[in-house]
Amino acid sequence: MTSLERSSEHWDEAEFRGVFLQHYSRIVAILMRLLGDRSRAEEVTNDAFWRLYRQPALQVDGNIGGWLYRTATNLGIDALRASGRRRQYEEAAAGFIDQGKSNTPLEDLMREEKRHRVRVVLASIKPAQAQLLILRSSGLSYKELADALDIKMSGIGTMLNRAEEEFRNRYLALHPNKEEL
Amino acid sequence: MSCIHDGNLRQYLDGELAGAELAEITEHLASCSDCVGQLENLRVARAETESVVGTLAPAAEDVAINPAMAYAQFASQFADDREPKTWISRLLAPRWRPVWGLAAVALIVAVLMSVNPVRVWAQRVLAMLRVQKIQVVSIDPTTLMSSSGPDSRPYKLFNQFVADNVVVTMDPGKPQIVSNLKTATQLAGYPVRVIGNLGAPQSIDVTGETAFQMTVNRDRATTLLDEIGRSDIHIPESANGALIAVHIPKTVISMYGDCPVRQRYRSHNSESQAEALAERKLERMANVKDTNCTYLIQAPSPTVSVPPDLNMSDIAEAALELAGMTPAEAQSFCQTVDWSSTLVVPIPRNSSSYETVTVDGVEGTLITETLSQGNRYSLLWIKNGVIHSLGGHGNSSDALSLAASLR
Repeated sequence: MTSLERSSEHWDEAEFRGVFLQHYSRIVAILMRLLGDRSRAEEVTNDAFWRLYRQPALQVDGNIGGWLYRTATNLGIDALRASGRRRQYEEAAAGFIDQGKSNTPLEDLMREEKRHRVRVVLASIKPAQAQLLILRSSGLSYKELADALDIKMSGIGTMLNRAEEEFRNRYLALHPNKEEL
Repeated sequence: MSCIHDGNLRQYLDGELAGAELAEITEHLASCSDCVGQLENLRVARAETESVVGTLAPAAEDVAINPAMAYAQFASQFADDREPKTWISRLLAPRWRPVWGLAAVALIVAVLMSVNPVRVWAQRVLAMLRVQKIQVVSIDPTTLMSSSGPDSRPYKLFNQFVADNVVVTMDPGKPQIVSNLKTATQLAGYPVRVIGNLGAPQSIDVTGETAFQMTVNRDRATTLLDEIGRSDIHIPESANGALIAVHIPKTVISMYGDCPVRQRYRSHNSESQAEALAERKLERMANVKDTNCTYLIQAPSPTVSVPPDLNMSDIAEAALELAGMTPAEAQSFCQTVDWSSTLVVPIPRNSSSYETVTVDGVEGTLITETLSQGNRYSLLWIKNGVIHSLGGHGNSSDALSLAASLR
């Protein structure tokens, strides 16, 4: 078997490692924003890399980073939505989130609660909009966003405006009395 | 110039404009208070959103991530999949396991045969015994000449061994692809069945009769074992010079669903080419873990003629040791098997399990392999002298309900 044929069906080990090392940290950080939990973020990141590994290299050729951000955030939003459903029940039962952390200073508690509200809203808007917001907030440039979401750079400004508007509306609708935006 | 679109204003605000576009908007803003006002609105909205979404940013102490360590874990987690496939592990690929893995005795012969195109080769393995029973044995394939690639010296020695010791007396030719069941049955000479639940097969092909014979050359075999570092394995003296003749009836394979395209070998004589194709095919089969492919293989039991004084059990023991069993395990297993009538299917330890089931009105063996993408099964049974092997993805009830729909 020639190396050319092999490359279409298998990742070269060194090449895959390079891709992993290049993107891993940033993707974990993005997913930590979404999921708020280091180990779950790592789990989902591994899942994304595992999917990449299964992809013949040709299919993601040229845009591996974009493919990874897209896949990882899709998986992250799915996980967020699933945990949101679970958490609603848990909260109904427990009365308040994070009650177990009684030593947490009040400020931290408030901050954690705010994060939770943000995640609830992200889980409730269109996944594509949540994806755009979380990636932009994580510092991706327009070019990176265009690669990740497979859209034209010229459309991103409009999409960001709309996604933010949707986010603000939902946030205020769900938490009218919590605070001003 | 009319007012600037919000999307472009936003792009300007985010500092993502350059060149002529940037100049144009800058110029427009200098003279349009509406757009300046709208730009300010967008700036406020952006800041408001970011002040909320930005709270999700992890604390600095939480983002100390060590990708190299993460990679080490990742790679070890998927070690099985990442390991380069040796030719022997390809031969053990689930798709071919039921075909090839027929007898531990056959293992040595199988390897000897492996220069030939995979189909013919697989059938030759099948040929070692007249099969009436199926027995599964779990082996550790990682010990089985795990470092021997197709270019390695042991592999070449095996090939040479085959070339010198095996004579094909009946060549099956190329498999014939047939369009329907009736033709398949006519060609095969026995009733061919299909999986009723799956509709028309994607393909049916019939492979012709094969016969070959070989002479056991104990010295050569011992040299081979030495070469692969298993000089501890003992080939019985009685085996030396034994003539083993094998006859394999016609074999029918039907495939259903999204099966990989099968590449045909071109010529029996073009060894390296055929070998390359066969390996590619095996490899593809091994890697097609998430396709929706189901297959049914039907093959009347092959017949094997061996000298009456040849002690199959001793050879089997050697073969099982070669395949990763300890001598004690191999010995105790061999004592339980009637080598003249039993098809022994080696399965890898750890990832596979098997159970005895009732299928098609007889006792069958269901082998389940757990992959990261879900289970794969192989269901084996013998009905009216025909070995059936049904393979696909899913759980045991999937396999049994498909088998129940055979017609």
